[in-house]
Amino acid sequence: MALDVLGVVGFIRPHIDWHALAPELTLLGVGALLTTLDVLLAERGRNITPVLAGLGMLGVLVPIFTLLAAGVVGEPRVLFGGAYVVDGFALLLKGLFVAAGYVVILMSTHYVAEGDYWGNEYYGLMLSSLLGMVVMSSARDLISIFVALELLSIPAYLLATWRKRDLRSNEAGVKYYLMGVFASAIMLYGMSLLFGVSGSTILSEISASPGLSSGSASSAVVILGVVFVIVGFAFKVSAFPFHTWAPDVYEGSPTPITAFLSVASKTAGFVALMALVYVGFWERSNVYGPLLWFLAAASMTAGNLMALRQKNIVRLMAYSGVAQAGFMIAPLAIAGSSTLAADDATSAVLTYLVIYAAMNLGTFAVIMSVARRTRTGDVASYNGLFRTFPAMAVVMTIFLASLAGIPPAGGWFAKFVVFKALVSADNASGYVLAAVAAVNAVIAVGYYGKIAARMWFEKPWAASAEAVPEVASVGVSEEGASPDPAAAAPLSDSTQPIPAMVRTPLNLLPFSLRAALTITSLATLVFGILPFTVSTLTDVSLLSPFPG
Amino acid sequence: MWLNQFLVLSAVLFSIGVYGVLARRNGVLVLMSIELILNAVNINLVAFGSYVQTVVGEVFALFVITVAAAEVGVGLAILLLLYRNRRSVDIHDVDMMKG
Amino acid sequence: MQDFLNGWGLTLVTFVPMLGALVLLAIPKRNEWSLKVVALGSSLLAALIGVFLLSWFDTSRAGDLQFVVDKPWIETINSRYIMGIDGISLPLILLTLLVVPLCIVYSFDHFPEPRNPKSFLTLLLILQTGMVGTFVAQDLILFFVFFEIVLLPMYFMIGVWGGENRRYASIKFFLYTLFGSALMLISFLAMFFLADGTLAGLDAVRTFDMRALSGGATAAIARTSQVWIFAGMFLGFGVKVPMFPFHTWLPDAHTEAPTVGSVILAAVLLKLGTYGFVRVAVPMLPEAAAAWAPVIGLLAVIGIIYGALGCLAQRDMKRLIAFSSVAHMGFVMLGIATLTPFGVNAAVFGMVAHGLITGMLFFLAGSMKERYHTLEMSRLGGLLKQAPRMGWMLGFCVMASLGLPGLAGFWGEFPAILASYSPAAILHQGVFRAYMVIAAVGTVLAAGYLLWMLQKTAFGKARKEFANSPDIKDVKRHEYISWAPLLVLIVVLGFYPRLLHEATDPAVRESLEVPSIAGSAQDCLDSDDGWTCFDERRTEIKQTQGN
Repeated sequence: MALDVLGVVGFIRPHIDWHALAPELTLLGVGALLTTLDVLLAERGRNITPVLAGLGMLGVLVPIFTLLAAGVVGEPRVLFGGAYVVDGFALLLKGLFVAAGYVVILMSTHYVAEGDYWGNEYYGLMLSSLLGMVVMSSARDLISIFVALELLSIPAYLLATWRKRDLRSNEAGVKYYLMGVFASAIMLYGMSLLFGVSGSTILSEISASPGLSSGSASSAVVILGVVFVIVGFAFKVSAFPFHTWAPDVYEGSPTPITAFLSVASKTAGFVALMALVYVGFWERSNVYGPLLWFLAAASMTAGNLMALRQKNIVRLMAYSGVAQAGFMIAPLAIAGSSTLAADDATSAVLTYLVIYAAMNLGTFAVIMSVARRTRTGDVASYNGLFRTFPAMAVVMTIFLASLAGIPPAGGWFAKFVVFKALVSADNASGYVLAAVAAVNAVIAVGYYGKIAARMWFEKPWAASAEAVPEVASVGVSEEGASPDPAAAAPLSDSTQPIPAMVRTPLNLLPFSLRAALTITSLATLVFGILPFTVSTLTDVSLLSPFPG
Repeated sequence: MWLNQFLVLSAVLFSIGVYGVLARRNGVLVLMSIELILNAVNINLVAFGSYVQTVVGEVFALFVITVAAAEVGVGLAILLLLYRNRRSVDIHDVDMMKG
Repeated sequence: MQDFLNGWGLTLVTFVPMLGALVLLAIPKRNEWSLKVVALGSSLLAALIGVFLLSWFDTSRAGDLQFVVDKPWIETINSRYIMGIDGISLPLILLTLLVVPLCIVYSFDHFPEPRNPKSFLTLLLILQTGMVGTFVAQDLILFFVFFEIVLLPMYFMIGVWGGENRRYASIKFFLYTLFGSALMLISFLAMFFLADGTLAGLDAVRTFDMRALSGGATAAIARTSQVWIFAGMFLGFGVKVPMFPFHTWLPDAHTEAPTVGSVILAAVLLKLGTYGFVRVAVPMLPEAAAAWAPVIGLLAVIGIIYGALGCLAQRDMKRLIAFSSVAHMGFVMLGIATLTPFGVNAAVFGMVAHGLITGMLFFLAGSMKERYHTLEMSRLGGLLKQAPRMGWMLGFCVMASLGLPGLAGFWGEFPAILASYSPAAILHQGVFRAYMVIAAVGTVLAAGYLLWMLQKTAFGKARKEFANSPDIKDVKRHEYISWAPLLVLIVVLGFYPRLLHEATDPAVRESLEVPSIAGSAQDCLDSDDGWTCFDERRTEIKQTQGN
């Protein structure tokens, strides 16, 4: 049949549902527009590019809403013979990616404009990475998952290396690139095996193929394939023991990019994992179940234990991200026990992802705001923040409480749905994993609480007291105003002259950063106090019947 | 019977690639080892594709080749940047950040 | 009016302090006066609305929930916004509504270092919302959220305004309680999945509705599951109480906390744990409660003796009072462990009495620290000479605390001991009688350490270093205002315990009843062959379900 299509008989143009593809196309359009403008305007585009990028992101939300209004949740649109599906699950994630992208653009605006490494490409790259993620939410076949993964990863490698002359940024880029490419190569090898066993790349067909059932002769190949694919994505979501790149990359990358990687890129990894587990490997829960169980338990425990001894706030957040990833993997581990448990687990992971996006982006926005003043990422610089910068201390406390899972901040509901999904399986592995998660929820308070304690209980940090008077002279500061923790000790001596432009004094937060903080903190609180705002969104099923 | 020969070839390539990634210190050689893995994947895809009589395998392989080209482009750019700043592409020396 | 009573009345009482806290955030730091007025005003407003609302409380129906609100909240997990009060929560809510304004009055001009009234008062008001919310919530998830809300403000209160070891104490408090509540949450979830709401007349099978869960929805759960679920709750609530092996956070927290923090901790926060047992653990899982009762009783009496011995080893007055709390909460837990209405009534009374008396003791200790700048008992003495009124008050509270008849403490301790003479029939009588003897020894020890403390601090002559200290003055005006209500209530409840019993008794009976289509749990608890009774009950329910 496929031969017919390629054959001389004639190429039949496939029917394309343009409405269903509208979000992707809009995003592509905005990205192309930004690149064109970059060529035309060069330096003059400096002030309008971030604004356009932000507006573009909001523009992408329009087709998402029209698709929602068109009832996509009830009847999914299936394109390209099942390779691309726009359903409630995909739509929610597209919205999440676009919203997270918008917040990251807000965080980047002043960071990029005031740094030494300005360039319009920054936004173009970010938008193409986001396009990859948006595609990923709908991808339901191996090829589109692979293409989406590379589309979101390749720009991200460049963004991590953004500060070209900073050796740390170089290091972050190299590590991220090599690890990422290696992981995707391993994943591809697994995919090729699965393709061989099932004869198809479409996930629903893979799941249905006789080669994948437990009794099949090629069981060993299937196991190898499933394990390789999951391991590939375990890198992406930074699950233990495949997390080793995360702390270095997070520390070395520009902070907005760190936020982007830790939220959007991780979410994309989970999206693919969920699509694979629920649609592709559904029959083989005996393979992915134990593997994910181990990944979840190990990530939670190891992430937490390593986070406890971190001195740098960004590294701490990296390990905290490993632990949080463990929490998100946990429901997937027991999803295979029944369709009901699977739906429960889908909602749990989605809920966690939404809340995690709000609280983690918020935490990084605070880290950026604090680092603007202190010029360091040392956790000690949070000492006495409550006295020197009370509003920021309060906001950070909300985010930390949320990350630790203490009501009324949103995180409690995320943890709660995970526990619920684990307990709902009503089997020993679910209960044990729930107990492991409970113990880890407490360990995590050890380091989140420690930062809170530093902010509230300690005397103000000495160096920060010195940094504040410097504010007036920032315009001529040699370091430039790259307010990144990692930039505290600039290693390059070739500091660029800073182009004349409007600067925000350091003691005033730029408007865009304020907006990012407001959006994320409000979202975190609303999710915590009125959890139905998330749970109604995430009450979607991935097991919705696929035609054909 | 003939399928197995391709699979064995690809498995050997894959193993050499993984070994290279883990053992090599030179960034460019690591990159080449990763290419070996990707080639193993391509051999698998084409062999399986022709075994089950579908072009999907070859289409997938084409995608892999194209994307790998882009990937290598970016990778070499990053390694070049590293070389400019450090005069070395030894990835074991890249260890400023620890903890 | 009807709307107010059966609609937003309770919501208003719960959230007025939270609104006050939000207003405080908007007032700039330097307007200290308006900060204080707004804080006091909102806590008083909450108290006034509360008293007004509760004046409509129908004591003849004290066993039923009143002023019920029932609105959807998180629909996907069928968790609802349900609030209501019965005779058990009534006194505890009143206690909370009373104590918080008194604390604000007490600290009105005496904020502990590093002052910062804005944050201090904000935290206090958030704390109040959390505490009242826990007592009115009738949905397990809502209950859990409120139960956890109190954590952060208390953590900061100890950590910012506390003594020298404040960081250690605050993080210890935090980690202990959080550990307990994480496992408790898993228990709640397990119950959610195993219970059957239709047995209690709901439409939905899975529910967090506390009315249904303590009304027979859990009757069909297998005994082993029940015992495990109870274990999780036991950890959650037991840490908060605190019961014997989990108590070590309490002395540290109390010693380091600022006076107001200690008072709230003693008066209300500890009651969240015991309230959890009375409201959640026992009525929802009566069978598991019976299985655990000997353990609870044992830990309770160990707590009584251990607390008493711990007291004798203390040199710091505040630490001594903290250990005495461990002992007192032991009596409360012993009352609950008997699983009889008499014992649980005693426990509820004990909670209120301990709240009043120990709260008052912490107030006194705080004021003494303000005057002497130390609570080292070897350096104190002669309070009766230097500040006679305060000395008398201390004496009065010590008497109340050691359970002198005629004062409130007596009605918590004595009936608890009495109740363990004849525990529920399902329990082993001999074991509980042994507990009774040990608890009785505990009261003697209590008299010993409390009188020893009184003698060390109030009797005798003042030490040289303090003999002419200008700081040492008798009770001041703000102290009178904030202490008088507590002192009066200690006497009133001592002489007229019926005031409380009238409200609590029907509610306690109702909570132990746990009806089902196959007989109530109370009947099984009362039967000599209780375990078989529970088994038969379960089988019968399952059969009806099958049909």
